[in-house]
Amino acid sequence: METFALSEPVLLVLLSLAEQPRHGYAILKDIESMSDGRVRVSTGTLYGALQRLLDHGWIERVQEENTPRDRRTYRLTSRGRRNLQTEIERLRHLTRLASLRTARKEA
Amino acid sequence: MTLAVYCWLLWLYPRSYRLDLHEEMTFAFREARSTLPPALATKISFYRREYFGLLAGALCAHLDCLFGVDVSFRRFDMQPQFRFPRSTIYLMLVIFGGVVLAIGAAAKVAGDPVGAGWRTVMSLLVFMLLSMGIVAAAVWGVLHGLRCSGVHRLESLQSHMDSVQSRGNQ
Repeated sequence: METFALSEPVLLVLLSLAEQPRHGYAILKDIESMSDGRVRVSTGTLYGALQRLLDHGWIERVQEENTPRDRRTYRLTSRGRRNLQTEIERLRHLTRLASLRTARKEA
Repeated sequence: MTLAVYCWLLWLYPRSYRLDLHEEMTFAFREARSTLPPALATKISFYRREYFGLLAGALCAHLDCLFGVDVSFRRFDMQPQFRFPRSTIYLMLVIFGGVVLAIGAAAKVAGDPVGAGWRTVMSLLVFMLLSMGIVAAAVWGVLHGLRCSGVHRLESLQSHMDSVQSRGNQ
């Protein structure tokens, strides 16, 4: 079966960057807080994901002068934002459908 | 000490990755480590996650360098008839251990007539077992790393997203 859904860690990375540009450690903490501590991503996994997202043009590095190399920030590209919106629309449709079906069952 | 292990594991990454990301990753690790609660279980879980994450990340990075980022790792769905419970592996190891011990005991009873031949067979078996273990660990690491982030599906996702967006625009 082909799955066209974003995985939870990738979705959380994109959601974290949708709000504002962040550096790696800030993304880690934001993912943890968004998922109430349920999703904890290692730095190896996070930077692997960031690298792939960079390669596919979903995110980009913010070019800022005077930013130390260990705190380079990332932000969503327009392509990444568009894809995120498509995914959110899919999830919205799914939850709407789930609410309707469960409500019908209870009635 | 833990930072030294982390930095040492970073050497497993391809050179280009290491040069690009070494400082960022070390900074993120140091920050995450400094906010760890004192509970021992949490610390163990943190270091296990970090070190295994690095091992899996390094393997994936090497595969990226070898095959390019567009390589699509399809999900491996084993046919149901070939699936077996995880306990089977442990059971097989126990049986294997039992067979080895039995052969050893039999050789002792028989006054060890096979001598050096027996030792060669044993070392060959141990070598085979170790090699299989290393290969299995490497494969598991790659699959684990991919499953953790799910980024291996980005390429197929992009074409799907494009078609959904173009349908939405029409």
